[in-house]
Amino acid sequence: MMEMVNVSWIVTLLAIFVLFFVPSGFKAYTAAFVILVNSLITSWLAFPALSGQVVELSIFAGTFMGDIAIRIDGLAAWFILIINFTSLTGVFYGIGYLKAYTNPAPKLTLHWSLFILFHLSMVWVCMLQNGFAFLLAWELMSLTSMLLVIFDHNKAQTLKAGINYLVQMHISVVFLTIGFIWVYSSTGSFSFEAIRSFFQSNNNIWLFLVFFVGFGLKAGFIPLHSWLPHAHPAAPSHISGVMSGVIVKLGIYGIFRIITFLNSDYIILGEIILSLSVLTGIYGILNASVHRDFKRMLAYCTIENIGIIGIGIGIGLIGIGNGSPVMYYLGFGGALLHVLNHSLFKSLLFYSAGSVYQQCHTRDMEQLGGLIKSMPKTAAIFLVGAVAIGGLPPFNGFVSEFIIYIGLIEGIHSNNLSQILLFVLSLAGLSVIGGLSVLTFTKTFGVIFLGQPRTALHHKPREVSKLMLVPQYIIIVLMLSVAFIPHFYMQIIGNALMQMSPLFADMNTIVEYANMIQGISLYSLLLIGIAATVWILRSIVMKQRIQRTAATWGCGYVAPNSHQQYTGKSFSKPLGKILNFLLIERKHFEELNPGEIFPEKRSYVSHYHDFFERNLIDPLISRLNYSANYFSFIQNGRVQSYVIYGIVFILAMFILTVFNIVS
Amino acid sequence: MLSVLLIVIASIFFTGIIIRTKSLASGRKGPGIMQPVLDVIRLFRKGVVYSETTSFVFQIAPTIYFASVIMAMLVVPFGQSRGVLSFNGDFIFFAYVLALGKFFSIIAAMDTGSSFEGMGASREALYSMFAEPAFFILMGSLALLSGHTSFQEIFAALHIGSQISYALAALATFVLLMIAMIESSRMPIDDPKTHLELTMIHEVMILDNSGFDLGLIFTAGYLKFAIYGALIVNLFIGVIPYQYAIPSFFAIQFVMAVAIGLIESFMARFRMSHNPQFIVALTSVSLLIFFGVLLILQKFM
Repeated sequence: MMEMVNVSWIVTLLAIFVLFFVPSGFKAYTAAFVILVNSLITSWLAFPALSGQVVELSIFAGTFMGDIAIRIDGLAAWFILIINFTSLTGVFYGIGYLKAYTNPAPKLTLHWSLFILFHLSMVWVCMLQNGFAFLLAWELMSLTSMLLVIFDHNKAQTLKAGINYLVQMHISVVFLTIGFIWVYSSTGSFSFEAIRSFFQSNNNIWLFLVFFVGFGLKAGFIPLHSWLPHAHPAAPSHISGVMSGVIVKLGIYGIFRIITFLNSDYIILGEIILSLSVLTGIYGILNASVHRDFKRMLAYCTIENIGIIGIGIGIGLIGIGNGSPVMYYLGFGGALLHVLNHSLFKSLLFYSAGSVYQQCHTRDMEQLGGLIKSMPKTAAIFLVGAVAIGGLPPFNGFVSEFIIYIGLIEGIHSNNLSQILLFVLSLAGLSVIGGLSVLTFTKTFGVIFLGQPRTALHHKPREVSKLMLVPQYIIIVLMLSVAFIPHFYMQIIGNALMQMSPLFADMNTIVEYANMIQGISLYSLLLIGIAATVWILRSIVMKQRIQRTAATWGCGYVAPNSHQQYTGKSFSKPLGKILNFLLIERKHFEELNPGEIFPEKRSYVSHYHDFFERNLIDPLISRLNYSANYFSFIQNGRVQSYVIYGIVFILAMFILTVFNIVS
Repeated sequence: MLSVLLIVIASIFFTGIIIRTKSLASGRKGPGIMQPVLDVIRLFRKGVVYSETTSFVFQIAPTIYFASVIMAMLVVPFGQSRGVLSFNGDFIFFAYVLALGKFFSIIAAMDTGSSFEGMGASREALYSMFAEPAFFILMGSLALLSGHTSFQEIFAALHIGSQISYALAALATFVLLMIAMIESSRMPIDDPKTHLELTMIHEVMILDNSGFDLGLIFTAGYLKFAIYGALIVNLFIGVIPYQYAIPSFFAIQFVMAVAIGLIESFMARFRMSHNPQFIVALTSVSLLIFFGVLLILQKFM
């Protein structure tokens, strides 16, 4: 077992070395091969854990850190497999995606070595059971992903997004470090088991919240989400797919991991997470519905899905608190299944959005239109992703959302008034999220792919290469497998949940629900069956009927052009208008002067701003900048001063040691 | 099975009754009650015209829309007899499967590239989104009241005993009726008989549909009405025996159709900009039901 872990990092280091000498055409293939090897190794390690066998290893990391425990339980295995799958599809899609651009060899070397490291570091995050080592892996993951984001580093916008991401991830690390040091100072150990003993003897709420802020920054709970809408559009699409599909989920993994150690205060924490998650979901999808940059839209939609996952986590926590195995199973089970589902359809959507970007060179959906004619396969893929992410049957998104819904309804039957209120409002909130995502994705799909082209593009868009399509087909196959054999996946999740909390070792009470989940897939099949029957009937009838084509009915107007089509902006404008206190729109235009009879050419620009970024984060940063200015004399750019600081520090250490103040 | 049969029978007459009521109210004789069904049969026999702008989405959308309504129909129970499908949380499935149909009818409207149809699509998406929480809070409250989570069990366990529960049933009827109006794009949200494309919602979305597809869309619309009517009937019939339940089913459907006809005859459509407020107000009526349920269950103690 341990050899396998060693093999994986040795292979990685070797591969990075080899990548320098491989011709640029083959760098991507080399990277794909290495990621395949690493994925196979780590998946092989993780597989036994799925059936309930915990893999325990330990790695010696020098005298300072000592033995570091590696432990792969069902939870870790679940995430490792998701990471491996998404990274693999990402790297294969990336081969085709980057082929269309000419990039200098060193840039490609850096990119693919970082990708390999990025993949391995994510897997390590799930395996390591020691705070110190965990933080190292976490940091490696953040740094490599940040460098992957700024692939197009010559664009100022991209660099800015990268630095924004870097800074926010380090705020997250600060919180995590505080958490681990807090545990260390009270128990004297960095190992994860120490967190359990900490929770047994101390108040649970505060430490959990510290960790929650740290991991929540990664996951993107409001108001900690503001890096997502910047970083995702800036990154190349195969990176955004992997980032949105997996890296965000590692925040969720962290929250789950801390939950396994919790000892009390389940209900209050569950209520906090549940309320925050409903708000996160609604806020995310509201913003997604108004943005015209389709990758930014997808980034906001990730925030929405984190909200849905969080709702599941909240239900599960309250379930533990109430001693209800059903809620525990439905909440956590739904959340974990949604983690898988979201990683599938979100990476699918990012890849197909990337295909559009590669062909059209714009992320502005208002410039596009009618792509279904020139890129039919990409359009169909995007449509599948859009229906699935809207949580509509018969796709996989519905299964996990349904489980979470049932969890909410189970919660309504509790005896506590505040919980009933919370659950009913969450039920309404989740339904709003569902309705809004229908609005968002009909808009996006309709504007990008349907109708007529809105502007003349520089190149005529063509269908992308097979190398880019095949990974997307594979994702669709896996999505369908979740949709039609969900009980298989829920069985695995059930095993993981049993390990997480021995309190619920008896899973007999949930058999009924397991059957119900199986039923859902049958009903989806029935739906497809009915649709197919109607379709066949229609085809038979239509054969005997006259079919003609003509222009779209212009309501009497006979010279319509493509600019008269409904735009995405106007599609979501009514919503933006109703909720203008949350969706802040800023317009820049020059008004007509009273005496101006023949107006000159003028421009009109409007943008939607992020409420939290504008009202919370930006003011905070400007205050920080203001106060930090007072200390700018320290960093004055003179080497002489810096040397003095060094000398002062050394002297201070010397004197303090001499007088035995520090030892 | 019984519910499906009843809904199909009711749907045949429902729209005809509305149209007849409207005709009588405006002093005309009006078409026969079977006219809408005859229209559909004729549409099934007609050829089609497709817009040059459209793609396969436009062709599959009516089929999926129709299939989604059929699927929704299957989960609706009738009193003590279950729907064809009955499981915990079937009302969530009901709402989501209808949303699937809506998804496809919206993108089909956008497929034509017409600005009018895009406008209708945008409104349809917005209004149905606002109607969603009202339905879920209503069903959540009923689930709380009855302690069950499937349509059939919830409706079977509803006890119309005290005054307050009569009030609740009345409110629930109001909510379901209004949701039916929003879903079927009738007054006061949308006026199917308006003369201007700018002011339509649902009708403008299907401007380019013709022949078989249009027939499917109409049929789905008729069924949708009868489905919501059946839900309202279920609020009242509980577990009473069939010889009373079946006549009262048709009676209530008839009253509902006449009521819709009268509302449409004597009311003007709301201003577009007031529609969202009206629909959100529906959510607060649902919340009222929820608090009523809390009162009945004495959870405030």
